Amino acid sequence: MINLLYTEFLKLKRSQMLLISMLGAATAPFVCFIAYLNMKSKKTGVPVLFNEVFSETNLYVVLLTGVTLYGVIATYLFNREYTENTLKNLLTIPVSRISFFMSKLILLLIWILLLTVVAWGLTLIFGLIGQFEGLSLTVLIKAFKEYIVGGIFLFLLTAPTILVTLLFKNYVPSLVFTIAITMVNVLIGNSEYRVLYPWSAVLVIANKDFFPEYLPVYSYISIFTTSLLGFIVAIIHFKKEEIH
Amino acid sequence: MSNWVLETKALTRKYKEQTAVDAINIHVSKGQIYGLLGRNGAGKTTTLRMIMGLVKPTTGEIEIFGQNIQENAKQIYPRVGSIIEIPGFYENLTANENLEILARLRGIHRRDAVPYALSRVGLDDEPGKLVAQYSLGMKQRLGIAAAIMHEPELLILDEPTNGLDPIGIQEMRNFLLDLCEEKQVTIIISSHILSEIEQLADIIGVIHEGKLLEEITIGELRKRNRRYLEFQVSNQNKAVLLLEEYFNIIDYEVHEKGNIRIYSHLGEEGQLNKVFVENDIEVSKIMMSEDRLEDYFVKLIGGRVSD
Repeated sequence: MINLLYTEFLKLKRSQMLLISMLGAATAPFVCFIAYLNMKSKKTGVPVLFNEVFSETNLYVVLLTGVTLYGVIATYLFNREYTENTLKNLLTIPVSRISFFMSKLILLLIWILLLTVVAWGLTLIFGLIGQFEGLSLTVLIKAFKEYIVGGIFLFLLTAPTILVTLLFKNYVPSLVFTIAITMVNVLIGNSEYRVLYPWSAVLVIANKDFFPEYLPVYSYISIFTTSLLGFIVAIIHFKKEEIH
Repeated sequence: MSNWVLETKALTRKYKEQTAVDAINIHVSKGQIYGLLGRNGAGKTTTLRMIMGLVKPTTGEIEIFGQNIQENAKQIYPRVGSIIEIPGFYENLTANENLEILARLRGIHRRDAVPYALSRVGLDDEPGKLVAQYSLGMKQRLGIAAAIMHEPELLILDEPTNGLDPIGIQEMRNFLLDLCEEKQVTIIISSHILSEIEQLADIIGVIHEGKLLEEITIGELRKRNRRYLEFQVSNQNKAVLLLEEYFNIIDYEVHEKGNIRIYSHLGEEGQLNKVFVENDIEVSKIMMSEDRLEDYFVKLIGGRVSD
């Protein structure tokens, strides 16, 4: 597994995808920063709090940019083995298909967490530049926890996107799929159903923003069921798939 | 345990109604170069994919080194190298880095394995060049390097000369012949080009529309395709009597329209003709002929062999 993981990292050498993904991860903090600067200039005397900025940025990351960005990264990791015709080289070594799959998942998790930290770090840096108020260690740690929880759950929810990639072996269906997920996020983002929809439930859990009508466990069940089903079907498909 | 390095038993692959590979029995001995010859779409690649475990057979068995591949894949494949169709590499990496990935996953610990493989295929002079900048021929050579890096006992090459220029093809041929001779590597090579297979293989398996029509050694093939001298004469009976009487020729065949094919005394057509004429036999045609190997395959598959 260590060798597989090492090779997964090596495959990223000189790849522009890492840089592009960082730029993608910077989008939400930057947009929020500009929005708050604008607000600050219009409403002088009303302080912009770090707590608010962190929370708002995480909302954008989890509900909007994260789903698509992490979906694209997951698609890139799996799809390139088909488009670059390298899968047959690896499988005839032979490399265990499950180990191969798992090594990609580990890399994906690391990548998503890295981008999460980038988003968190940039929010902090932009906040310092904008001289936002209310910064404390407690705020920082709370925000960091929320970001990491959001990142981990979004990682779990890449399973259906990976399945779509393995089925279609193309970027387009995966991209359409992640955009559709994001659209639903936007649609139900303000309703109570957001606790049940897996991708919006991530934010509910990260911010502990549950509704009294629904037990928190529903949000967890929604996420874990989607993830587990996605991974199981994806692994079964990948294990049985013929390489043409 | 069988004596074959590779053996398929009634290997079949169906795609819905279409039978891509139809109950083929391939036999490859140690140290041989086996040429799998057939037109495009004949079933060569599907066969090789099944052998490499990338595609599952519908029915039939594959044994490599006397072991069933489905039950012993982990023991068998580390001893096999392969190129199936166009070899794929990570374009953002160098040849060295691409091979390093494969070496790590194969568990090759020898530090010189990658440089050695690259030098064998002549790709060691530009270490910083990315695979994205490689020509198809260079990628093909890199594919060979990847296939031989772990010193396999069996090498499976699907159309390895695709994209190579004539010099590259010749280099590849010499390289494979050396590999077979020096290291006793058994090689299975597929191609739709007869001349390519003929110059390499010890034994040829002709595949057409999914069926293995024949396995034939090159020696036997050449024996079947001997050169001959052909006369068209007015009196065949008298002519063959003269051949036997005057020249002791017994290696001949009588064909339609007064044709006689003589397989010995090649280059003596002048003397033969003189005897025929002196004995009132009218000679209307003299031809030095040769049944080309291509003709043989055309007859066998009922169409063109090479595109």
